[in-house]
Amino acid sequence: MEVAIAILTGVFFLVSIYLILSRHIIRVLLGVAMLGNGVNLTIFTAGRITREIPPIIGDDATVPLEGIANPLPQALVLTAIVIAFSFFAFLLVLVFRTYQELGTDDTAEMRDAEPEGEASPPLGY
Amino acid sequence: MQLTFYALFAPFIAALFAPMLVRIFSHNAAWILALVPALLFFHYTGFLPEISDGGRVTGGVEWIPSFNVNFSWFIDGLSLTFALLITGIGTLIILYAGGYMKGHQQQGRFLSFMLMFMGAMQGLVLSDSFLMFFVFWELTSITSFLLIGFNHDKERSRRAAMQALVVTGLGGLSLLAGLIMIWNITGVSEISLLLGTGDALRESPFYLAAFLLVLGGAFTKSAQFPLHFWLPNAMEAPTPVSAYLHSATMVKAGVFLLMRMNPVMGDTALWETVLPLFGGATLLVGTWLAVRQTDLKLMLAYTTVASLGLLVMLTGFGTEKAIEGAVLYLIAHSLFKGCLFMVAGNVDHEAGTRDVTKLGGLMAAMPITFGAALLAALSMGGLPPFVGFLAKEEIYYGIASADSWSIFVTGVAIIGNALMLVIGFAVALKPFLGPKVETPKSAHEAPLLMFAGPVVLAALGLVGGLLSGVFHKLFSSPMASAVAGTPLEIKITVIPHLGLALTLSVITVALGVVMYWGMAWLREKMASLLKAIGWGPDVGFDQFIRGLVKGSTALTRRLQTGSMEFYVTTVFVVLGISLFVALYKADEWPQLPAIPSLFIYEWAVILICVIGLFSVIFAKNRLTAIVSLGIQGFGVALLFMLMGAPDLAFTQFMVETLSVVILALVMTRLRLLPQDHRSAYQTFQDGFIALGAATAMTLILLGVVQTEFDPTLSEFFNAYSYTIAQGKNIVNVILVDFRGVDTFGEIAVVMVSGLAILALIRILPKKTNPDVPRSENTEEIF
Amino acid sequence: MASAKKSDVNLENAMVMADPALADWLVAAPLILGFIFGAICLMQRKNVLLQTRIALFGLLLMLIADIGLFINVWQNGTVVMTMGRWLPPFGITFAADMLGATFALVAGIVGLAGGIYALSDVDSTSRRYGFYPFLLLMLAGVTTAFLTGDIFNLYVWFEVLLISSFGLIVLGSERRQLDGAIKYAFLNLVATTLFLIGVAYLYGVFGTLNMADIARKAPALQEAEGPHFAIAIMFLFAFAMKAAAFPLNAWLPASYHTPRIAVSAVFAGLLTKVGVYALLRIFLTMFPADRDELGAVIAIIAALTMLVGALGALAQTDIRRVLGYLVISGIGLMLAGLALGSETGISGSIFYAAHSMIVMTALYLLAGIIGRLMGTFDLHKAGGLYQASPWLGALCLVLAFSVSGLPPFSGLWPKVLLVKGSIDVGAWWLAAAIIVSGFLTTIAMVRVFSFSFWRTRAEGLVEIGPISREGRIKLYAALGLTALTVIAGVYPEPFIQVSDRVAFELTHPQTYIDAVFGGNQEGGGQ
Repeated sequence: MEVAIAILTGVFFLVSIYLILSRHIIRVLLGVAMLGNGVNLTIFTAGRITREIPPIIGDDATVPLEGIANPLPQALVLTAIVIAFSFFAFLLVLVFRTYQELGTDDTAEMRDAEPEGEASPPLGY
Repeated sequence: MQLTFYALFAPFIAALFAPMLVRIFSHNAAWILALVPALLFFHYTGFLPEISDGGRVTGGVEWIPSFNVNFSWFIDGLSLTFALLITGIGTLIILYAGGYMKGHQQQGRFLSFMLMFMGAMQGLVLSDSFLMFFVFWELTSITSFLLIGFNHDKERSRRAAMQALVVTGLGGLSLLAGLIMIWNITGVSEISLLLGTGDALRESPFYLAAFLLVLGGAFTKSAQFPLHFWLPNAMEAPTPVSAYLHSATMVKAGVFLLMRMNPVMGDTALWETVLPLFGGATLLVGTWLAVRQTDLKLMLAYTTVASLGLLVMLTGFGTEKAIEGAVLYLIAHSLFKGCLFMVAGNVDHEAGTRDVTKLGGLMAAMPITFGAALLAALSMGGLPPFVGFLAKEEIYYGIASADSWSIFVTGVAIIGNALMLVIGFAVALKPFLGPKVETPKSAHEAPLLMFAGPVVLAALGLVGGLLSGVFHKLFSSPMASAVAGTPLEIKITVIPHLGLALTLSVITVALGVVMYWGMAWLREKMASLLKAIGWGPDVGFDQFIRGLVKGSTALTRRLQTGSMEFYVTTVFVVLGISLFVALYKADEWPQLPAIPSLFIYEWAVILICVIGLFSVIFAKNRLTAIVSLGIQGFGVALLFMLMGAPDLAFTQFMVETLSVVILALVMTRLRLLPQDHRSAYQTFQDGFIALGAATAMTLILLGVVQTEFDPTLSEFFNAYSYTIAQGKNIVNVILVDFRGVDTFGEIAVVMVSGLAILALIRILPKKTNPDVPRSENTEEIF
Repeated sequence: MASAKKSDVNLENAMVMADPALADWLVAAPLILGFIFGAICLMQRKNVLLQTRIALFGLLLMLIADIGLFINVWQNGTVVMTMGRWLPPFGITFAADMLGATFALVAGIVGLAGGIYALSDVDSTSRRYGFYPFLLLMLAGVTTAFLTGDIFNLYVWFEVLLISSFGLIVLGSERRQLDGAIKYAFLNLVATTLFLIGVAYLYGVFGTLNMADIARKAPALQEAEGPHFAIAIMFLFAFAMKAAAFPLNAWLPASYHTPRIAVSAVFAGLLTKVGVYALLRIFLTMFPADRDELGAVIAIIAALTMLVGALGALAQTDIRRVLGYLVISGIGLMLAGLALGSETGISGSIFYAAHSMIVMTALYLLAGIIGRLMGTFDLHKAGGLYQASPWLGALCLVLAFSVSGLPPFSGLWPKVLLVKGSIDVGAWWLAAAIIVSGFLTTIAMVRVFSFSFWRTRAEGLVEIGPISREGRIKLYAALGLTALTVIAGVYPEPFIQVSDRVAFELTHPQTYIDAVFGGNQEGGGQ
């Protein structure tokens, strides 16, 4: 089970890194979104995987059954999902505003902070 | 003893008050400020009896005990003589600056810098601890930077200041490394203790490295060829600076260092070859370049270079007499060079030019200045009965001998001394004698403040020669003993003794007179020779700075291209490589996993994810891209569901839905197309990089899941989730109780991102030129 | 109803029973204060004047809490507190050792200076849209990152400080701000994501997230099969990128010059240093064995970072961008001590980090003042400031020499420690890199001084006016920081004592482990 999911995370990383390497900012953003999913699966896998039994204590028990899923990675992933979503939302708006102001979605043309062909530093004293 | 502690700070405190005093008393503030070095001079004379009897004084307070560094001083013949020269000449220079800079708007600042420099120099010679020595050493570089750049409106001044700082600052850093190295070799970090550990140092395998590093410090500071060029350029500074820095202080610091180290680092073949070689070269280069000059200050500057060369040569020659000669010459040089610089300043100040070809016949107008100049020139020429004569005789006693090395060194010394005599007289005689030449200003005698200094220094050069017994007892013998590391007694007097030394002296003088006579011819020849060479280290400095700036610009533009694609590519290339190297180096490859046995529906969900992922890459239109993104997200949610994480599945489902919706809104609004236009090569390259990094991460994860899992934490949560924390859903209990702080942070992230989005959307940029910082918009605050 | 069952449970097996000392709450104080004051500011968003006062008061309180915490740790050793009173390693532990307390203290100073400077640098629009809440939360995030003892929790604070810094960097929405923000945001997000992946691996192998727990399990587990070294490399990579070490430094020069100066200044003081902190924590407290393996690699990274930073500074025309590269160069020096791993070296790194936080912030503040006076940050057009304000010139020189490591300012001593540490182990090339980078920095900064102060003002540019009454507030902020660098330069003893103590603790990780588990090694998870 872990092996399959581990390899699946590899596919997630492959695709998201490929997208992040793009010059088109919207593709980078898509890549970042999928990278988040890959990471969540990684956390989940690292905590080892069991099938189906959620970590919930039965109505009249004080401790859960044997063989339930590991609850800690689930909690970590929940935190990570929410954080990743917040970042995704922010980055989306940032991309949107940048597109509005700079008029491009191509990072190669985003040269306001480090302009192309700027003057060399002064050589005198 | 503790008075010395305050003495070390006194000039800095005086420097603080200098601007204020000048504002109140104008140039007469110099009288008050000069009291500080005068009192210091008086303080140091108090050590004379003890030191001249062969004593040493150390003292100090704890400074950085954690690092075994004390604020400690060490007074022996060497440092005492230096301290007296620094404070004594310092007193005269402060007075001189009072007159020279009279009416200058920034006179207060100038005097302040001078006093700071004095404090640095004083600290340098008195320091016992290595690091304290280094601190004061660099302080002289810093303060001289301020002094040389004082006329900061001129680019030449700025260049000279920077040049001095770069050259001497670099030397200082080299010295620091050298000192730390010596510290490591000998285990001591104080000069007074170091003096007993010479053999350990000389026999260490790191002697060569330490030697070269110390030399780097000494040669830059004392302007040894080919690092001499900063010194003449430093003549851009106002004359009081030249008179002080380039006679007795700054440039002597390097010689001081060599003399200090002589007992512990000297007496090796390396020391006795390298020092005379560079010193001799500097002596010759300095004198010949001096001949070339017509500017009084530059002539003096180059002879200073030459004198420093002579001192280095003598310090490294290795005989006791040579050291005695070096000591005598150092004192003599401080006196006559300080005087001659001030004379040049007076001439410049009164006549309006320093060009020796445009000066003549000033004797009548400036008799006192002329008198001082004449006395100083006689001392510089090495004529009796001046200290300069004592020095030259002793030098010839020290170096003249029958072996070829001595003959060579002696020859160098004779030529150098003869040329220095020429320059001395050219400076002292040419402007004053002969027919009166029309000068830009009509000359008068300089005021008291300005002739006091030259007269006193010139007179001292005479008195020292006449009272040579007292002079040796108090100053030169103790100093020579300190340099040699064994007690020495100098006996030379102004009464000439027939012998080799006197013969050589006579040859020197005769040669000098001949060359003085043919000086115009020599100057012309030198000028054409230099023109033929065309390049010098001074030009080299410009090339170095330009090359450095251009080179780093080229490098930086290559590394910081401005393209995000490049930055991101670098990140993932480095990531992939470093992870693979790590796996390889530590041999942490995972074992080959068995083919996972999954249920069909599990395979189906995984397949859905993969399809979603790849269709994002290949999506041809917005809708496909967005839907594909949604598919992989829902696939992940399904996986969570299958693996016993309903909470996660639900959250993931919500988040993905939300993401898809807002992404759709933005992409439609912007009419952004999802496909990109990578070339085939680019596609392959990016794909390869992505594959590398992703594979590495997967391999690590496979390795991770193959280790034995330690479930302690989760067992704890399972056990106490209900029994203590009263929650049935363990995941929720972890979120709100066991790891509640994480959730706290998570909520903060959500809040802040909302606020940041608000700021992004609501703030519209002002239409301003981005290069001009906007005005302070504070009206609503105050 | 449940109480009957509850009574069966022995609480001592699960929870810390002793009440925490009141002073121990100081560990959480920066976090609580930052959040409370951030929230109040947010509520008073429209009332700019009131909001500003509250924020400054909050920053001051945070600094006081940091000072209190520092004194507490100095006197009583590592202060540990587990949130929710669960026994470590089950709950989230906050553990302030000397390293964390020192960094937190300096961060508090930087934050307050930035907040004061912002009084006359950040316009009311930006304040209305959250300048001070961002600042407070970023500071809370940074400080708590220094104090937390749980690696996943560290990740959470990294994200808090990162999103707050996003808020700060975009305030104003100018073209190049957005451009800089894009690069800053995406690259930093990649770095924190890689950090999170590292945390996942770590959890998979160790089954725990508590740093002290990991540290005590590391020696045994590193003998076992599994990808330990690769995980260490993952952390090295992620934090080196956060710290802007070469060759992962590109995001910093691409963005640090774009926001308001007050923002750049606190960024320079705080953000990269969190990366450095994390590297020290990971490789000294948690995985000292991996550090020994990686010493040479880190040394090479350190040397290259120093040199690339210093050369980059020489290549700039914009004063702010000169400073951006100097931040990078400083990171190299901090890594040098980690590479050496000796007490002398680490002590040098710690001192240098504190020095760099203070001095780089001060330099940005100064750059803001002189840029405002000259109307440009362009070295081609700079000039004439010496006439207008010689005291500002003095300030500039002090900071220039301080950042170059020349005496008598605070940069010298850590460099001496590092050079000595390098020569001690025969790493002469590292010593040479330290010295050469200092030399190059001197040239770069003296050029800035010479161009903007000494050179006369070019024809046709507006006269430089005096510093306005409001502008003086900026000056006070810069002056305060400069005073610190002078004091630390002239009398470094207390500072070296602190950094020595930090270095001692870091080279003896058992002190940290013992502090967290209270000597009770059976506390759990063995």
